[in-house]
Parts: sequence; C-alpha cells; structure tokens
Amino acid sequence: MKRSFGTLLLLAVLLVFPWVLKDAYYQHLMILVLMWVAIGSGWNLISGYTGQVLFGAASFFGIGAYTAALLLHKLEISAWWGLPLGGVAAVLLAFPFGWICFRLRGPYFALATLALNEILRNIATVWESLTEGMVGLLVMQTFVSKIPYYYIALGLAVLSIVLVDVVMKSRWGYYFVSIREDQDAAESLGIDTRYFKMVSLCLSALLIGLAGGLYTNYMGFIDPKVVFSLHDISIMAILVGIVGGVGTVYGPAIGAFIMVAVQEVFRTGGFGLLPALGKTTGWPFMTTLSKYVSEAHVLSFGILVIAVILYLPNGIVGDWSSIRRALIFWRRKAA
Amino acid sequence: MNRIVFCLFTTVLVALVSLGLVLAAGDPIKVGVVLPLTGEQAKFGEIEKNSFVMGVEEINKSGGINGRPIDLMMEDDTGKPDVGRSAIEKLISQDKVIVVTGGYSSSVTYAVSAAAQQRKIPFLVTTGSADKITEQGWDYVFRIGPPVSEYPKALNSFLAEVVKPKTVAILHENTLFGQSGSKEFAQQCESTGIKVLMKEGYEAGAVDFKPLLIKVKAAKPDFVYMISYIMDAALLMRQSKELNFNPKLFVGGGAGFTLPEFASNAGDAAEYVFSADLWSPTLPYTGAKEYFDNYLKRFNTPTEYHGAQAYSSIYVVADALKRAKELTPEGVREALTATDMMTVFGPVKFVSYEKKKQQNSLPTYLVQWQKGVLETVWPKNVATKPYVFPVSEWSQR
Amino acid sequence: MEVFLQTLVAGILKGGLYALIGLGMTLIMGVMGIINLAHGQLMMVAMYVTFVLFHYLGIDPYTSLLISMPSLFLLGVLIQKYLLNPLMKVESILPENQVLMTVGIGMVLTEIARFIFTSNYLSVKTSYSSAAIFVGGISFSVALTIAFIFACTLTGILFWFLIKTDLGRSIRAVSQDGEAAQLMGINAERIKVVTMGIGSALVAAAGTLLLPIYYLFPDIGGPFTRRAFVITILGGLGSTVGAIFGGLTLGLAEAFSSTYMGMEFEDMIGLVIFVLVLLFLPGGLKSLTKV
Repeated sequence: MKRSFGTLLLLAVLLVFPWVLKDAYYQHLMILVLMWVAIGSGWNLISGYTGQVLFGAASFFGIGAYTAALLLHKLEISAWWGLPLGGVAAVLLAFPFGWICFRLRGPYFALATLALNEILRNIATVWESLTEGMVGLLVMQTFVSKIPYYYIALGLAVLSIVLVDVVMKSRWGYYFVSIREDQDAAESLGIDTRYFKMVSLCLSALLIGLAGGLYTNYMGFIDPKVVFSLHDISIMAILVGIVGGVGTVYGPAIGAFIMVAVQEVFRTGGFGLLPALGKTTGWPFMTTLSKYVSEAHVLSFGILVIAVILYLPNGIVGDWSSIRRALIFWRRKAA
Repeated sequence: MNRIVFCLFTTVLVALVSLGLVLAAGDPIKVGVVLPLTGEQAKFGEIEKNSFVMGVEEINKSGGINGRPIDLMMEDDTGKPDVGRSAIEKLISQDKVIVVTGGYSSSVTYAVSAAAQQRKIPFLVTTGSADKITEQGWDYVFRIGPPVSEYPKALNSFLAEVVKPKTVAILHENTLFGQSGSKEFAQQCESTGIKVLMKEGYEAGAVDFKPLLIKVKAAKPDFVYMISYIMDAALLMRQSKELNFNPKLFVGGGAGFTLPEFASNAGDAAEYVFSADLWSPTLPYTGAKEYFDNYLKRFNTPTEYHGAQAYSSIYVVADALKRAKELTPEGVREALTATDMMTVFGPVKFVSYEKKKQQNSLPTYLVQWQKGVLETVWPKNVATKPYVFPVSEWSQR
Repeated sequence: MEVFLQTLVAGILKGGLYALIGLGMTLIMGVMGIINLAHGQLMMVAMYVTFVLFHYLGIDPYTSLLISMPSLFLLGVLIQKYLLNPLMKVESILPENQVLMTVGIGMVLTEIARFIFTSNYLSVKTSYSSAAIFVGGISFSVALTIAFIFACTLTGILFWFLIKTDLGRSIRAVSQDGEAAQLMGINAERIKVVTMGIGSALVAAAGTLLLPIYYLFPDIGGPFTRRAFVITILGGLGSTVGAIFGGLTLGLAEAFSSTYMGMEFEDMIGLVIFVLVLLFLPGGLKSLTKV
C-alpha cells in the first residue's frame, strides 16, 4: 500500500516535471536519465536477474540506433519507425548471439559480449558504404521543444520498469533467478536453461535497442564511436545497474539518476556553481578547483565503482537495509 | 544542534550562489564556446581556449562591444558529440548566450551545429573541418576555417607544377577527419589524372604500421598522402625510415604533421616531410606575427593554426556584435553574414560556393620540415625557404 | 616474397611482446580465476614509471626494467591484498564482482595518470628507437628484436620458476585446484597476492620494453588488455607455453591481416579469433597438448 502510493507520487511528479521546470538543459538531463533507466533495466534483466553479465550492452544500443538512422538515410522512412524497429533489430541480433554464446559460462560469456561490442563497432566504422563510417549519420529532430521527447522517454522508462516488474513476478522470473543461482541445479530440475536465457537476453536486447532508437531521434547524430562505445554505453550500463542495485526493479532507476547526476555535476563543477564562485570571488583557488573537479568525473566513476563493489555490492536498492542501518547509527551518534 | 548547522550551511550556500548569479548577470555580453577541454583532444582544446582568452582580453581592454565587455562562457565537450550537445544546450538555455563559437572535432562540431541551427543560435565554427558541416544549407552556421577538402589546395598546385606524380597511396585514420579528408583527396587526384593505388584506413593508436607500410612500399607509389594525428604521424614516418621506404615524397594532410611534437617525436624521420597547412606566423596578415609572439611569451609554448583560428573567431564575433542592429541571435546572425574583415588567420568573408554555404574561403599552404623547423615552401610568394625536391633516400642522409 | 617475409618478421617480433603481456594475465587468470581488465592499465603505470625515470633521471629504459618490474610487483600485491582479496568475503548476487572491480581499478589508474601527466602524448627517444638492421633486405626493428629476446628470456625464467621452485609449484597447485592446495597447507591467499604481483611485474616489463618504439598516454591500456585476454584464452588459462604461442599467433594474425586484407581489420581479427576460440576450442591451445 505504502509502496504503490510512493510510486504514484513519483509518477505524478515526473509527469508534470517538464511544465514545472522549463529549462531545456534540465529537461535534457532528465531525458538522459530516463533513457538510462530503460538501458539499465534491460541490462538488469539479463545480468542482474539471470546472472549472465552483459559487458557489451552497446551492441544492442548501437544496432537500435543505427536501425533508426539507416531507415531514414537509406529508405527515407521516418526515423521514428526506428524506435520499435530498433528494438526488433536488437532482438534479431540477440537471438543468434545467444544461440551461439550461451554455452559459455560466467566471465566467458561476459567477454564474448565485449567482443561482440567491439566487432560491431569496427564493422560500423569500416563499412562506409552502409554506415558512412566515422562520418556519422545525421537525423534532423522532428520537434524543437524537448517536451515530446521527454514524454516518449518517460514512456520508455515506465515500460521498462513495468516489464521487468511483471516478468520477475511471473514464472519466468523464478526461472531466471534459478539460472543465476545455480544453472546446473535448475537444469536438473527440468528447466530449459538455454531457452530461458535466450528469452531474458531478447527482452533485454529489446529494451536496450528501443533506447538506441530513441537516442538517434533525440540526439540527431550518431557514429560508431558514440553508439557502440564500450566506455560510455556498455560500462555505463553496468555502473547504472550495480550502483542502483542488481536484481531489483527500481535499482536501475536510482542508478540512472545518480550516474547522470554525478557526471554532469562533475563536468560542470556543480552545475556551474564552482566556476561562478571562482569568477565572483576572484580566487584562483576556486577556478583551479573547478577545473580539477570537471576533469575528475571519470575518476569519480572509478572510485564509485570500487566503493560500491566493496561496500554496497548489491547496489543502493539492494543494500538499502545496510544503508538505513548506517544512517540511523549516524543520527543516533550525532544526537 | 546538527539541524542548526545544516540550516546555516544551506543559507550561506544559497547566498553565495545568488550573489554569484547577481554579479554575473547584467552588463557583459555572453558568448558561448564549445571546446574539448578534457579528453583525448584536450591539447588542441587548450590552444584554442588560450587563444580565445587572449583575444577577449584584448577586445575588452580596448572598450569591448560599445563599452560592454564580452563574457566567455566555455563548455567542455570532452571530445564527444553527445556531450557537445549537452554543452550547447546548457549555453543556450541556462547561460542564455546569443552566439556560440568553437568546435574542434568534426564529429562534435557536426552535432553541435545541428543543434545550433535548430535552436536558431548563430554558431561560428572555428576548426571542425568536415565538408558536410557547411553543406547542409544551415543559415545559422558559419565557418572561418577551410573545409578539409581544401586543405591540400597548395599541395595540389605544387604537385601539378613541380612534382607531376602519376600514382599515390593514401593512408588515413578512421575518424571523420580522416575518412572525409581522404575521400576528398582521392577524388581530387583522380580528376587530375593521378592514379590512387590504395586508400587505406587504420584505427588510431596502432603500434605497428609495418604491415601496412610494407604493402604500400610494394605498390611503389610516387608519393604518399597521410591524414593522421601526431603520434600516428610520428610512428608512420619512423617506421617508413626503418623499412627504408622511399617514395618521391611524403605529404601529411595537416593536423598531426604540422605540430612541433611531430618533429620532436619523429626525430630525423620528419626531415623533408611536406604537409598541408592553414597558417603560419610569417604570412602577411595583420597581427599574425604579434599574435604568435604574444602567445609564446604568455603561455611558454608556440601556437599554430588552431590557435590562430580561435583568436580570429572571437575577433569576428566581436566585430559582428558591434555591427549587430540588435543584440539578439537573429541580429548577430545577420551581422555575421555581412562580415568582411582581416584577421590574423586571414581575410574573413562568408560566401557560398559549390555546395557550401557561409564558408570562409582561404588559400592554404604547403610546408616542409627542414632541419626541424617547419618552413612554408609553396606558394612561392609566401615561401620562407625554397622547397627541397627531389628528396634524398633515407640511407643517403 | 619480400612482402611475405617482412610481414612474417613483423608479426613474430610483435608477437613476442604480446606474449609477455599475455603471460602476466594467464598466470593471474589461471591462479585466481579472475579476468583482470586492468591489465593494460598496469602496463600504462609501468610505462609512466619508465618515462619519469628516463626524463628526469636519464635512466635508459632497459635499465629501468630493474625498477619498473619490482614497483609494479608491489602495486599488484597491494591491489590484490586490499581490493580483490576482500571481495571473496563480500556477499553479492553477482559473481562477476571481481571483474567489475578490476574495471573500476583500471579507470582509477587511468584517471590518476591523466591527472598527473595530462592527456599529452609522451615518448622516450633513445638511440635505438628507430634503428633497424637489415638482414637479406628484410628490416628488423632493433628495439622490437631486443624486446623479443627479453620476452623469451623472461619466459624461460618464469618457466624454471614455476617448475623448479617451491613457490612456483605452490602457484601451480593453487591454479589447478585451490581447495586441495589449501588442504595441503598452502596459504592460498598469500599465493594469490604473490601471483598478482608477478603478473603485474611481467606486464610492466612489456610496457618498459614497448615505450621506446611507441608512445604513452593515459588511455593506452584498453587495447592491450583486450589483446591480453585474447592471448590468454587462445593459449589456455594458466599455460605459460600457451601464452607464448597465443602471443605469436595473434602477432602473426594481425600482421598478415593488415598486409593482405587491410589495416582497418587489425583490431577485429583478434576479436574474431577470440570468439572462435571460445566457441570451438574452449580450453585454448593448451588443450591440444598436455602441457
């Protein structure tokens, strides 16, 4: 009862958000957050719940993104069709990949996804006649205002969360978790692990591919380095998942919010606070500090990863109980 | 107790922020700049940033824009197109700039100019050289630097008059700059009767170019044209020397080949290498030499064409702001279209020709490394030293 | 013919260096079962150490091997002791935590390097950096040849170490069956720490040897990590001989594909080999022999 009230409240806030905060910059950030919620949820399905860690999530993202862009460039179909079709294309990729690579266990599967990621990136770069290589593909945005994009992204994010929630509460959900916990035991109990791993991967690919299609339509420019990026997409997906909480429904949502926030806060020095302070106070210390802070955002990611793995291995949502305990302890100590 | 401290802290914080906002608003005119201040391209970002800063200080000291100073709002695009997008969004919505300049990497510039066109904010491209950027018919985008297809203009005339080669091998890195530049050059060669024996791309950062160079050597091209950034350029030359590969000439397509680091890293393998170049402090443009000397004195390191582009960009922007009928994006845009001035980078006038729109058209130059110094060798009337051609083989030096 | 021979030479020499990188990783993977995705970054650290020694103290890279290897040994030991070993005790849903931890470590190392040295490309110029000797019209890069010889020597030493010394045999024991080794009285945790140190020292050697002919920047680690695990999988986990063959195979594959197909495929060929091995020869080359 309490939980659904909180969720509804959150949903209400999100729905009115773009009307309340008209600043296009913050709207842009929220769209990014929502996109990452979708990607993170997709990642979570296969990695967090089914235990097959995906190291190359960008493979599906990039396929989705390129589908949308190529539909426009080669077939002159509106890139908006690329959104659903991008998801489909990603699933079409997931299918043979899973078929071939699911015989691999644990870290080997993870490495295979990484290899897939890099191979796709290379292909996209050298197959210039198809993808224009590093020249990239430009898609003019349909709307000038960010608001339509915001609602589409919100729709996608909600779809992802609902999908994960529904699937995990169903029989499939139990199968996925059993595969994660002990694949051989599951197999011996008569669960067709190969089939369910495929299902999980395809669902994940669908969500991530949809996000890719959205990216093309919103950002307007893609090239192999951007959409098949190991660092910016694949590893970011992992971070979103583990910081938020693997194997939880809302984990990726929290993770997405935190990661985008951390990145922007560092890049802009506290949304421009530090540089502004530097300019007004005229302290050189402030300007150098803001410069270091903006350059430190990747460093902060690395430290965040290490800290989370060491102290909060199940992410913020997963280890929420230990966080609460720590906070209570703090408050008691202070009083 | 804790709660009181917390409240105090927040109040102080809010006060500082508002103070900052209040002081920052009002008088100055805000000009946005998008540059790679961090990441792989930070080196160039820094040269351009320093040049912008130097230019703005001079402009403000001599009265600014009709008495109002320019406030440079710099945003870091980290070398990534999507971050570049975020950067220009922030400049437009939060900082409310009326004009943006900058743009180093072609891919980032492409994405940022699309955004500028859509939001109807004039964008003066400083460096981003892919031809496509000014071929989209965008009326809010202007470019001061030449498109990459024109980089080898001087080279082409040199080849036609002096070298008269029959074949060429083109090597390029797989980036927007490399792929578009090589495609254009290949087309230019074919149209002037030079046969392109091979055109091959590589991923930047390769350790060993020997397999590639072996293939090129076996094809026996008259000359080799390479589009690379510094370290690949240095390695390509060093390894060519190791293989004793001697085509009639080695030519670089600008970028990596004209930086001082190229000579220091390639050592004597850099000797006699030609390159296309966009600018040199010895050119007869007002203020070129002073800019070079001032930059060197202040920042302790030499500048080169990217810096000159940046320095000139801010002067062009300032000029447009002075002439603008009203200080709105549309007003600045109109003023920019009427630009006709001389800068340290050369004359600036935005014209439309062939597929291009609002592109500044400038001559380019051919330079050659001679004894570790980059000398301008073509066209003859601006040459600082005569060119060395034919070039002796590696083993005979 | 000359093209073929020259490509062959290029591939073998490069392969030797690759083998050295792969050796470190295969040892770590064999003993600890973790994929160290920070391997390339460790190499980067060693290269910066070498650079600093050369630039500020004028120490030749070959001499600085004596400093870079032990320093990286120490770094590896510290990482294992304080960041990786504790993970065994942490309860988490995902068993891949260790791999992710190495990703985090890699990022931190890269960024710290960027902080101290900025993103500038640095290089070390020695008299032999561009030198080449010609044997029958085929060019042999002096620096790469020396690196190749060093790699062989180090491999030989490692081999002897693993077979003849007690510590070496303990390492192999833990690599074969960690629990059984513990039952035999071997302190598995300490062995893991030492192995990480040795693995790091080996990749440090590779970095120091590579610096004269290449260059250095903070992001240099990534592609080498990738090659390292291709070599490791190709050679077979924990197999030193496998790593050598794996390294040579990769070097040759890259060279031949660059010459005969196109340099743009250089990165892909390693990945394709990787996937093929994973699918068709999961034990690596090692499983083809009994070593």
